[in-house]
Amino acid sequence: MSRSIGARLARVFVSTCIVALTVPVFLVGCDGETGYGDGETVRIGAVLSLSGSLAGLGEPARRAIEVEVDRINADGGVNGRMVEVLYEDDASDEARSVAAASRLIDQEGVVAIIGGSGTGQSMAMRQEIEPGAVPQVALAGGSIVTDQFSPWVFQTPWPNRVVVPFTLENLQAAGIERLAIIAESGGYGKDGSDVTKDFVDEFGIEIVAEEQFNRGDTDMTPQLTKVRAEAPDAVLMWAAGAEAATILKNNAAIGGAAPLRFFGAPGNARLEFVEGAGDAAEGFMFAAGHILVPETYGVDTEAYEVATSFIDRYTERWGAGPDIFAGHAYDAIHIIVEAARRSPADFTPGDLRDEIEATSGLVSVGGTFTFSPTDHNGMTADDLTMYVIENGAWAPVEEVR
Amino acid sequence: MGAVELLQFALAGLKNGAIYALVALGFTLVYAATGAINFAQGEFYMLGGMLSVWAYAGLGLPLPLAGLVGVAMTALVGGVFELLAVRPRKDGDLLAIIIITVGGSMVLSSAARHLFGPLEKALPAFTSTGTVSIFGAVLEIQSLWILGLTTLAVVALWYLYNRTSLGRAMRACAVNRDAARLVGIDPRRIVTVSFMLAAALGALAGLAVTPLTQTAFDVGPSVGIKGFAAAILGGLGNPIAAVAGGIVLGMLESMSIAFISSTYKDAIALVVLLGVLFWRPQGIFGASRREKV
Repeated sequence: MSRSIGARLARVFVSTCIVALTVPVFLVGCDGETGYGDGETVRIGAVLSLSGSLAGLGEPARRAIEVEVDRINADGGVNGRMVEVLYEDDASDEARSVAAASRLIDQEGVVAIIGGSGTGQSMAMRQEIEPGAVPQVALAGGSIVTDQFSPWVFQTPWPNRVVVPFTLENLQAAGIERLAIIAESGGYGKDGSDVTKDFVDEFGIEIVAEEQFNRGDTDMTPQLTKVRAEAPDAVLMWAAGAEAATILKNNAAIGGAAPLRFFGAPGNARLEFVEGAGDAAEGFMFAAGHILVPETYGVDTEAYEVATSFIDRYTERWGAGPDIFAGHAYDAIHIIVEAARRSPADFTPGDLRDEIEATSGLVSVGGTFTFSPTDHNGMTADDLTMYVIENGAWAPVEEVR
Repeated sequence: MGAVELLQFALAGLKNGAIYALVALGFTLVYAATGAINFAQGEFYMLGGMLSVWAYAGLGLPLPLAGLVGVAMTALVGGVFELLAVRPRKDGDLLAIIIITVGGSMVLSSAARHLFGPLEKALPAFTSTGTVSIFGAVLEIQSLWILGLTTLAVVALWYLYNRTSLGRAMRACAVNRDAARLVGIDPRRIVTVSFMLAAALGALAGLAVTPLTQTAFDVGPSVGIKGFAAAILGGLGNPIAAVAGGIVLGMLESMSIAFISSTYKDAIALVVLLGVLFWRPQGIFGASRREKV
């Protein structure tokens, strides 16, 4: 090789720079409006995972916010001021969510931030949120988001500390004593299985097997073979991604006439999961919000009205109904806008935070939100319903057996 | 642990191993032609599934035809990728090519995300969603397809390498590029063909797996890494070694879960990989030869 090491390194460096510079441009090329407003608008930042592994959560959130901001502005915005939402894609990457939050706070002067979509991203942004003194309404369901308390951080999804006792109560009612856990190794699965282990004793349930898998794994037969050897009464699955369908199909294949009974979590409330798992999902049960079947709110309730009108608007705009992730974003934008409407005319992000914390009895899609200085989530088991998959669709279960 | 369970673990390992083997074959082909690792190989796996779903659900083609369209289009993407991104790098600088393929993989997955959306897509099983019982252990019919297609691909590749002039030209290029050029072989054409074949093999794996796992724009990297590990484990540049590497890696993961813990299955596979490389840097089945830089 005749070329000098120096020249070689220089070429490598240049190539790397080109890749490093062009790829992010390509990835973020589709961001929404980022123009400067006229100072009169209420600017809210949204750091969402619009690409990467969590895109399935970020995309419906963006759609819900767009639909709702249009309606809010048509209704006169915030006391006459229009609401403008600046979208940032964190590409499911924690470092990028931090950079996005920093940009929104320092350069765009947003009064609040919605997001991130994932637990890891929501937690990472905190290093910008706290010094920037801007309230954050996270769309991620990890218990840690509000357990590790910050006065600036709120959370709209039902955290696992609410979901787990509700689910275990149903397991207990179904007579399940020996439980196995299969969980993805990342944030959602880890949080879910950790919280489950904290609560099982209260319900007289014993964990007889605990298996993990990684995102992107193509076959979970070995884990299930190991679980079957322990003869559990049921398996609780913590998997929000496409692997959930694979697990159920593997279970149906090796179970033959006697597949293991499976329970899941709100992360499974996705049509792609039900379609992907097909017949293998029949009888699968999971806890999720009332929005999946609005009748579970009670047809004569305010929540039913709120949810069905949102479902209609969303469906009209996007051609398909909203899922629970769209619902979490609906909750977030309305919590912020309602708080802004109660705030003084020239409110600061700090004033807005105080008003968000004062949110009380706000009937929304995920549930009825009441925050307090110690509770920045406010969801309870009343906001959840147990669903079962029957004939390829989810239906509420009145009583679990 | 009973014999039936052990067999069940082995079958799972074999099935995953066959998938890794197909991806590993793609690494091997490009390595033989260019001496570089193609980090976009996992994206060909992704494209095989996504384009087949698009042809099946979007165009409404029957499944066999849709699969063929998916694999053929991915092969085309592989060829175009080589022509547009790799070939302009005329000096064949290895590091530059590797970085180009890393960039290419990002472009391909972003493009798939924008074209087909962020959500996972399903494909029906080729013939039946049923299972077969082998001495009490169970295997999906679709897994038989995976094993069958892998075998077919290996046989076809063997035939290509040993019985056709194109295959001989590919081997000649792998042994000595300059000498091959002297006898009238155009190495640039061989590189393009290798990329297309590698893309087709990756696509075949993606297509065969999609009925079991669904597919999405972001499935490429994790399978790509496994295929790369399999290719290294077996020995780069040798198709039979790549297949063997894939099967060994699949078995290793499955047996790690069986006897140790699912938490550490990837770590265990990686430790074994490193161990093998210390012991035999050329891979378990790789021919011993001096490394050219």
